[in-house]
Amino acid sequence: MTGEENVVDPEGEPAPTPAGPLHAVIPKSPGFWKEAWQRFRGRKLAMAALAFVALLAMVALFSPAIAGTKPVVVRYKGRIYFPAMAYFNRHWENPVFANDKFRKRYPKNLEDKDPESWAIWPLSFNDPYRRVQGNEWAGRPGNPTQDKGRPSRLNWFGTDQRGVDVFAQMVHGARIALLVGFVSMGIASAIGIIVGALAGYFGGWVDTLLSRLIEVVLCIPTLVLILALLAIIEQVTIWHMMTVIGATRWTSIARLTRAEFLKLKQMDFVAAARATGIGPIRIMVRYLLPNALAPVLVPITFGIAAAILIESGLSFLGFGAPPPNPSWGTLLSAGRSNYELWWLIVFPGTAIFLAVLAYNLIGEGLQEATDPRLRDTGD
Amino acid sequence: MMLPWRPRQATLCVLACFLLILSGCPSPPDDKSGPADGDSGSEATSNEEAKNEESFAPLEPYDPPPLAEIDAEADWFDRPVHIALDLLREKQANEQPLATVQEALAIKNDSTDDNEKILSALGRLYDSPGEANFDTELNRHIPADIKSTNPILSSSTYEGYVIGLTGLGLFSFDWNLEPFAVGEYVVSWQTSKDLLRDKVVIRDDLTWSDGHPVTAHDIVFSFQTIMNPEVNIPAVRTGMDKVRWIEAYDDHTLIYFHKEALATNVWNLNFPIIPKHIYEESMKEDPTLVDSDYHLAQEANPVCGGPYKFVKRIKGQEVVIERRDDWSMHNGKQVREKPHFKRIRFRVIEDSNTAMLALKNGTIEDMEFQPSQWTTQAAGDDYYKTNTKVRGVQWVYYYFGWNMQRPYFRDVRVRKAMSYVVDYDHIIDTLCYGLYERCHGEFYPTSKMAPDVPRTPYVQDFDKAEDLLEEAGWTDSDGDGIRDKTIKGRKVDFEFTVICFNQQLRIDICSSLAESLDRIGVVCHVQPTEFTVMQQLSRDHDFDAAFGGWGTGADPSTLENLWKTGENRNYGVYSNKEVDRLFAEAKYELDNDKRLEYYRNIDGILWEEQPYTWLYFRSAFYGFNRRLRGYMFSPRGPYGYGPGFDSIWAAEQ
Repeated sequence: MTGEENVVDPEGEPAPTPAGPLHAVIPKSPGFWKEAWQRFRGRKLAMAALAFVALLAMVALFSPAIAGTKPVVVRYKGRIYFPAMAYFNRHWENPVFANDKFRKRYPKNLEDKDPESWAIWPLSFNDPYRRVQGNEWAGRPGNPTQDKGRPSRLNWFGTDQRGVDVFAQMVHGARIALLVGFVSMGIASAIGIIVGALAGYFGGWVDTLLSRLIEVVLCIPTLVLILALLAIIEQVTIWHMMTVIGATRWTSIARLTRAEFLKLKQMDFVAAARATGIGPIRIMVRYLLPNALAPVLVPITFGIAAAILIESGLSFLGFGAPPPNPSWGTLLSAGRSNYELWWLIVFPGTAIFLAVLAYNLIGEGLQEATDPRLRDTGD
Repeated sequence: MMLPWRPRQATLCVLACFLLILSGCPSPPDDKSGPADGDSGSEATSNEEAKNEESFAPLEPYDPPPLAEIDAEADWFDRPVHIALDLLREKQANEQPLATVQEALAIKNDSTDDNEKILSALGRLYDSPGEANFDTELNRHIPADIKSTNPILSSSTYEGYVIGLTGLGLFSFDWNLEPFAVGEYVVSWQTSKDLLRDKVVIRDDLTWSDGHPVTAHDIVFSFQTIMNPEVNIPAVRTGMDKVRWIEAYDDHTLIYFHKEALATNVWNLNFPIIPKHIYEESMKEDPTLVDSDYHLAQEANPVCGGPYKFVKRIKGQEVVIERRDDWSMHNGKQVREKPHFKRIRFRVIEDSNTAMLALKNGTIEDMEFQPSQWTTQAAGDDYYKTNTKVRGVQWVYYYFGWNMQRPYFRDVRVRKAMSYVVDYDHIIDTLCYGLYERCHGEFYPTSKMAPDVPRTPYVQDFDKAEDLLEEAGWTDSDGDGIRDKTIKGRKVDFEFTVICFNQQLRIDICSSLAESLDRIGVVCHVQPTEFTVMQQLSRDHDFDAAFGGWGTGADPSTLENLWKTGENRNYGVYSNKEVDRLFAEAKYELDNDKRLEYYRNIDGILWEEQPYTWLYFRSAFYGFNRRLRGYMFSPRGPYGYGPGFDSIWAAEQ
């Protein structure tokens, strides 16, 4: 029974070693997850991918500090503010700047209205939503527009036809890319695991019913559903899209969970648990789920990659994140209108490719690290 | 010579009025521009428009008086009958070309001067027919396939391109938008003193492509088919309900009876014509004209009355039409000028990048550009090797429209503030590549209805905008950085949505508005929508603000549709008693100068009230193969008038 190796002791603690001089001290055997992590760590590609995703996450998290036209920290009229937070939520920009008629242009206004002020600026003075005009920052020329926006010292990845910096858009677009992946797959896994667990554990008519439901949902094309929804919803936000992706992409997760539960519920430890009178919910959550989780993580990781692709694809078609939200797909689509602007295609294209590749590599690494049959094939 | 202006589509745009412009600017979906309304997408437009205007008054039986009686009391006066190509020849006879053909082909079109030189040198008709190659095949570009070959079912701009050549229409208008009867088909056109009747005598040397003669009965039959509520063609029907009846007194004499003595009746005379002997019986079985096997066969191989007939059609790829020699020749005699091309192949290429490549390698020989393409892809030596390019002003303007039913825009001060916020420089110079002209109101500055004194344009001025908003009561009372106002005891944030057609340039323009508004504490969301959705929202007045465009109608009376209280294209629910009164009076004013004065006044009121923030006039940008000559721009583009396409010819190589 290979499955047994996978079994985690539900109570987590290894059995106490009998004490006594006759027995050598047996080292605490590593838990399943620890073992999997060790094996995962041995896979260089998977680790590189993980590092890349971590880097992306950092970029997304610190995007206002990397590229923006609002100071990260500013001391103005004796108080400290963080105007760059407005890139996360417009309400986080302190109204004092609106009242003082800054009109969203900081460098000059700070100097004029409070010569004592100081500010820490983002690494790249560029806005993901608009073109930086000439002399907005003393001595800095305006961003080039139309087809003249080649990569330069000021615009590292060039600018699009509107004169908006590509690097700034990509940095802030990383937020959307990551968010789409995590949120939509979060929703999908929640639905998928619950449905799969119920179907697998209870079997019988519950299983029949839920399996049919899975098949029905499987038939719904995500893209078409999103397009239809866009026509109905008045203010489409990125959250709507994530919900739709999440609500349609849970089927493979549910099927895998169901299969694992079907297998695991036959095991002795479940019978034992049942015999001691533990309720079905507790058995599912405490005994079955931890054992079933490893294989389920794999489709989730692949799902994240797919979600990023879907979002980029939608943005490319013009149905993605509502404007003016920067998104990698939107950039690509701007490049489509004129192939001579290679920087509009190469940089966001590479970013999408790498992000999707990274998630796929992580998924593969996970699969090999947790599936005993694949365990020793990789390295 | 050839069918100067096309059937119904023309009428639709012309009379029906300002046709909503679908596209307009860069990026692929948009380049479906058309001639008539200077814009694209009209398929969706016209169709959709049409369906919702279904509430037309069906034709009531009418017993027309005998011809002798009409003649006796009518006191006819003659109206113009022209051969459009002769009109053009007359015009060009007085013009000296600014450059020779060789010079024009050698220069690049980088300035207004260059543009004028190229147009004046290459836009001319041949001096002797020997200069033209009449046996050549022309490859034209259409960005979307045609849906039908039946002129009565046509609705899009591109169908207009094709059917304008295969169908026949009795009326047209020239580059000054002056209407005339088409000399190729009409002997005489007279109007009664009281303007209630028009008498048209058609020529007796006209035949359908199956050899049957074209008679006045075909025209009456077409009219009755169009007015038949069972035929689903509301697009073609627009404006036709102003016609009381059309009677054929013999094979060639027609009388049009109008319901009212309007100055604009002339624009209701034109409609597509279909052969009676083909459709009379089959109509009874299948009034949709598209379902029965017989009609399908007709659709595949229609009987045509125009200078060209269909020879091949591959859906989604190409439509091929061929010159009808029996159109220009009758009983062995030349009765009309020979059309300039032996065969015309319309290639359907939707993607504008692909079309640009096709133009560069000669697979297509004409193409409408986006401004971005004009300045970038159509500027290098590889482009000029096979092509040249020309541009012309079109009376097609774009605007932000404010919905007067919304609390924000009811106040004229707020609308003016909006006009002060817009970053015109960024929109015109950057987003539109500096190729468009600012627009200050409904009429183009050189048109007869334009204001006497040029207007002072709005320029971006945040101080003025903020003052106006504060005057109107929109202040940031709760200090959250967003303006608000207490309306009926409820605090309303100034946060609205602007809708636009889902196309990059339009989205960029709306985003620019949103960005500017953001700077003075107004939140504006941009919502790109499908064209049909946008139409629906507009018609239901279910929007805050909208970015859109209108192409000009041939007559200013078409404005009524946009601005009179309760009219169907008055999307922003604008209502002004004075404007309504002026429209009503203008309609019955028969003195043309006085009539135009009414429209000038209306435009003045509109400018004062800013129900729109007018942005720019969209020019037309076209690329033509180096061998083509004879193109010229009207306010409705290079094709949407008489002679339009008919004056284009290929030089002998």
